[in-house]
Amino acid sequence: MRRLKFKTAAVFAGLAALSLVLLGANLFIGSVRLSAVETVGGLFSGDAIIWKIRLPRAVAAILLGGALALSGYLLQTFFNNPIAGPFVLGVSSGAKLAVALTMIAAAGAGRALNSFSTVAAAFAGSMLSLGFILLVSRKVGRVSLLVVCGVMIGYICSAATDFAVTFAGDADIVNLRDWAMGSFSGTDMDSVAVMAAIVPAASVCAFLLSKPIGAYRLGEGYARSSGVRVGLLRAALIILSGLLAACVTAFAGPVSFVGIAAPHIVRLLLGTSKPTVLIPACFLGGGIFCSACDLVARTAFAPTELGISTVTAIFGAPVVIGIMLRRKRGEAV
Amino acid sequence: MNDVLVSVENLSAGYGKPVAEDVDFAVRGGEVLVLIGPNGGGKSTLLRTLAGELKKLGGKVLLCGIDTDRLSPKERAKRLSVLLTARPRTDRMTCREVVETGRYPYTGRFGVLSRDDKNAVKRALELAGVSELSDCDFSRISDGQRQRVMLARAVCQEPEVMILDEPTSYLDIHHKLIFLDSLQTLAKEKSVAVILSMHELDLAEKIADRAVCIKDGHVFRSGTPDEIFKEEVLRELFDLPDELYKKYFVKGKSL
Repeated sequence: MRRLKFKTAAVFAGLAALSLVLLGANLFIGSVRLSAVETVGGLFSGDAIIWKIRLPRAVAAILLGGALALSGYLLQTFFNNPIAGPFVLGVSSGAKLAVALTMIAAAGAGRALNSFSTVAAAFAGSMLSLGFILLVSRKVGRVSLLVVCGVMIGYICSAATDFAVTFAGDADIVNLRDWAMGSFSGTDMDSVAVMAAIVPAASVCAFLLSKPIGAYRLGEGYARSSGVRVGLLRAALIILSGLLAACVTAFAGPVSFVGIAAPHIVRLLLGTSKPTVLIPACFLGGGIFCSACDLVARTAFAPTELGISTVTAIFGAPVVIGIMLRRKRGEAV
Repeated sequence: MNDVLVSVENLSAGYGKPVAEDVDFAVRGGEVLVLIGPNGGGKSTLLRTLAGELKKLGGKVLLCGIDTDRLSPKERAKRLSVLLTARPRTDRMTCREVVETGRYPYTGRFGVLSRDDKNAVKRALELAGVSELSDCDFSRISDGQRQRVMLARAVCQEPEVMILDEPTSYLDIHHKLIFLDSLQTLAKEKSVAVILSMHELDLAEKIADRAVCIKDGHVFRSGTPDEIFKEEVLRELFDLPDELYKKYFVKGKSL
């Protein structure tokens, strides 16, 4: 018991330290060379490179990475399966399509979308995708089939997005192409303010659900018999995971695999599935995963930037394959 | 004699369309009631309805004298616990954690266990004889052990009524006997009303205080083990042809 507590504390300390180190690295490293002293100085003096470019981007990577991991964790709880996640279930792509269409429509009307309406459009899109997945899940019980279905939704939405982007007027879509690829670049402080309002609030709500989520680990029947209001819990899981994934897509486009990889890695590290421990750990883990991937995306082939999904897929997809192989061997994952 | 803890009046149960109708019975504290009958006869549907997992279609269920319609999920959970046929697939949960979920209706916002809760968990693990498994991963123990851990979970919910749907089906004879023995001890020591369904007629006869036969969605017969476990009742209940019954059931002994 005591050893377990020590291990949990050690993992949390490690995660916290790592996220601070990566935050520092993301401020320090970039196309304009700054010394460590200049970086710290710039942080206090309000230097433009730090405050307008690197800090918002670094903070966004942490917040949105955490949001993705949590969204994945909530969906995994809902479907009782570790390979559920906002990207593979088509939730991110649904959000992407809704945002693209709204942006093009707004541009057609001669207006730009503000952050809140982008999030609202993304949320509508993510809920539509989730709604469709839920309808299908009534017919087919197997999550592997749902994932296939989600991937197909993803392709359909991406194709529709590409179609819309191709035929939209050039001026409308200055940023749309980059965004549709998925990227943290161009994040400004205003967007960060909106994220900082939505993501922590949704995360706290998820944490408040720890107790019913804990009971839900034994399945719907046992949860209900111990007094969980299962219908309410399931609705809350869907809405929160949809909102978190929508927020990510609204600001950074679709980001792949973080929602599966980060929760899986923290589960491995902590060796437990207790929600009071896992929910904060998932958030930190997702933030770290995205910060590290964004650092790679910015610096690996600088000055050319990689799409964030390119990097998260390279590190995240092997984790998914690993999970499936372990399940195949009959081990609990 | 103990109080009546469950009384079922004119209950009809099913998925939209009734599978079982006009069911009446009552169970007192300390009593073990066994439901027997052919597959598809409605036993599971009845148990799931009593457990609150299915909405009842009509009639009345009183739990400790209170209509179940007027009990909140939490209040119901304090009075009634279950052992279902679905076998949970857990991820990184120790057996103790599985048992602890039974304390759900008693703990606060974040489900932190008080000293009382921890004691209840410890006693339940002991009663089910699985204390030594406390720190083992639930997904890595045998079916028989798993079923006893689930029994401990149901016990630590400190219910007055327990409902078990074919709890012994997957167990070998050794584990069947251990399981049923723990269950009987529990019913007698804590005056819990136990309702369970099972297919092993020989064991059912030994553990039952009363038996209810369910066939084609109706109570076909009910009474004491002596009244139920005899040739003419069982043959009719399970539609056993004469020659089959004679071939496999020697008088006074059953399979």
